[in-house]
Amino acid sequence: MDRYKTSHDILARIERLRIMHDLMKEKSFEDISKEEILTDLKTTCEELEELFLQLSDQ
Amino acid sequence: MDKIICLGKNYADHAAEMKDAPVEKPLLFIKPPSVLKEIKKGNSIDLPWERGAIHFETEVVFKLYKKNIIAVGVGLDLTLRDLQKELKEKGHPWERAKTFKNSCLISELKSTKDFPLGWEKTPFSLLVNGEKRQEALFNQAIMRADEIIHYANENFPLCDGDLIFTGTPAGVGPLKSGDQLTLKFGPIDLSFGVI
Repeated sequence: MDRYKTSHDILARIERLRIMHDLMKEKSFEDISKEEILTDLKTTCEELEELFLQLSDQ
Repeated sequence: MDKIICLGKNYADHAAEMKDAPVEKPLLFIKPPSVLKEIKKGNSIDLPWERGAIHFETEVVFKLYKKNIIAVGVGLDLTLRDLQKELKEKGHPWERAKTFKNSCLISELKSTKDFPLGWEKTPFSLLVNGEKRQEALFNQAIMRADEIIHYANENFPLCDGDLIFTGTPAGVGPLKSGDQLTLKFGPIDLSFGVI
């Protein structure tokens, strides 16, 4: 994976975090449940750590 | 947001008014986020009139998260119609006719819960200088929302935050500098100008 793809994947996850923030802030759980957002938050943070490490090695 | 995915010919009446050959599935194209503008009430939007006719296309827009619709609004997919016609005649890609500054205008996006009748069954419309020019229900579109998401993802892998412009019904037409536009869709009632 090249650093452009890694960078894109990092930014895509940051955008995902922003959406999760908005959904939580608006308490908008009609389409995605609170539990699902919290699970996704954990997964996304783990993925971000891995991607940041990859980026530093590329 | 990674991209804006747009459908063409997703309403049979619009395809007919454009005298386009029937298609098996709606067309897909993308716009970059740099041409997107969220309109606020009373805005005056700058458009490149010197480049030829600019046509409005009113569309339901939705925002995606994990391939789910998390917000809905109404937007204008603006097209440089003269340039598009010229490029089509030459058999060239016509994305240049769709990707100028402010060519992708959207209202504030609302939660689906803000549409008591269901957003698919709520009329969306555009008025130009007080005259209704386009009105339809998303339910009149050829492709349903879940089909659109699947179809879009097959062609342009979706990212969280991507927007989908779902195609325009009949009634598209030219704008001119100084026109006052009103977009309506459920709780959205947004008036602004183009200059």
